[in-house]
Amino acid sequence: MRYVKWTLFTIVAVLLVSFFHYTLPQHDIVRIVGTENRRIDFGENSFFWASPDVGTSAGTNRDVRFINAERPNGRIIVYRNEDTGWGWPPYFKLDSSNLQAESQALVSTDKANPVWVSVTHYGWRNEFFTIYPNAITVTQVEGPDVRIIPWFNILFFIFLAIILVMLWRMWAQFRERTIDPALESIGDTIDEVDARADGLWARFRAWLATWTGKPRR
Amino acid sequence: MIAMFRLALFGLAGMTIMYFLVSIYSRSTQREELEKAWDAAQGPGDREEFIAAGMAAYEKGLRKKLIWLVYVIPTLAVLAAIYLLNFA
Repeated sequence: MRYVKWTLFTIVAVLLVSFFHYTLPQHDIVRIVGTENRRIDFGENSFFWASPDVGTSAGTNRDVRFINAERPNGRIIVYRNEDTGWGWPPYFKLDSSNLQAESQALVSTDKANPVWVSVTHYGWRNEFFTIYPNAITVTQVEGPDVRIIPWFNILFFIFLAIILVMLWRMWAQFRERTIDPALESIGDTIDEVDARADGLWARFRAWLATWTGKPRR
Repeated sequence: MIAMFRLALFGLAGMTIMYFLVSIYSRSTQREELEKAWDAAQGPGDREEFIAAGMAAYEKGLRKKLIWLVYVIPTLAVLAAIYLLNFA
């Protein structure tokens, strides 16, 4: 039973951590080396793609903007640049065309004078599913060693904790003020019925006893 | 546009549920405070009347009005996100 409990706990924890790791924004310091448009036919990976530009209609395939970049350590990373619109995740991104233009303005192929940018993104790069992180904003930074404090994520988790504590307090209050008194009153009623039944039963037994010739108690 | 209205509709439904839950909770804590205050002081006056008067004051008070923040804060957060992520 202990193994079952821990397995379930681990599965839930992994799912939660993955969910937040995928959905919350992260910052990468990179050098943009190019941008492009590719037509994508969504298959079994369609879950990991966002929505068509706000106001345009959805088909089985569409052109998606991509931003190709290189990290300071020389490894490459490819971002997609898609609107999330009014859907999930709630980034309300409507400006993927503008973001593409900004990225094109920041393209830096001259390795001697690199332009470093911080790309805020969510999502994962995974070669097995052909999925890409979705770039949200691009801002120029001083250099590859800039320290970026994830204020949004800090505030988000504080806020989430407040909400969870609040919900727990609400439930505790409801239990204390509504459920427990109701259960008590049900318990009292059962006790009363029980006592009355005991009285009847005792009298019935006594009456039966009169037939057996036992003396009445 | 339909997607925006769908978000607004579901958001409104969610915030309304939260509004009612928080209202019930807030009223319940208020009543509990009044009960404990009367029980500690054994007064003033009749217990039921004291609580009724306290609850009537609560219904007109600031604390009840602050529950409207359940609607205001998420709406402002969404508007701020739209502005900051697209136009700032």
